[in-house]
Amino acid sequence: MKLRYYETFYLLHPDLTEEDRAAISEKLQRIVMDRGGQIVEISPWPLQKLAYRVKKQTQGYYVLMQYGAPPDVISDLTTTMRLDDRVLKFITVKKAERFDPKALAKARENPVPPESGDEEATNPVQDPETIEE
Amino acid sequence: MQTKYIPRHSRRVYVRRKVCRFCADKALTIDYKDFRTLKHFITERGKILPRRITGTCARHQRQLTNAIKQARIMALLPFTSGHELNG
Repeated sequence: MKLRYYETFYLLHPDLTEEDRAAISEKLQRIVMDRGGQIVEISPWPLQKLAYRVKKQTQGYYVLMQYGAPPDVISDLTTTMRLDDRVLKFITVKKAERFDPKALAKARENPVPPESGDEEATNPVQDPETIEE
Repeated sequence: MQTKYIPRHSRRVYVRRKVCRFCADKALTIDYKDFRTLKHFITERGKILPRRITGTCARHQRQLTNAIKQARIMALLPFTSGHELNG
């Protein structure tokens, strides 16, 4: 079956324990795998402050899940996350039309050399348009 | 960043040549999860800065706009400053 490369990024309630969070992650992974999908990576973020209140919460746990899956899995994932009120927000993005685990593994083995420039040093908006002498 | 000075006759005003950050640094990618980078492209009120201010090229500005909007949906960036957490 043809797989697409997706990522789902979701926000969990801050009061959840680590086990709760693992269980949710497990549940979502199972949905993907049961339908012939493959998990590439799960990366949970540490507790993060939100830009605005979501269901009266000011912080939460973000989790990023990258996977290859057939397109019809997405609606299942979406329904599951919508029904689960521990998931405050989520977004699913298609990263590539075709999921190629071999190419991915290769890219992982030879990662791109680290960025040369220092990110903090180059602020794009620090300068006004014109500088008067 | 390169600077090019264009002297204008009567008013001695110098224009700084703006270069698209994402074209200049190929390793820098636009990602909605990377709110720390995206933050540089919004105003204090949370509005998206126009291209004429930041110097971003058209292509990257389009990607940037999308990324900022996705980040807002995920509560990584504010829609407006009116809903700040403290205050």
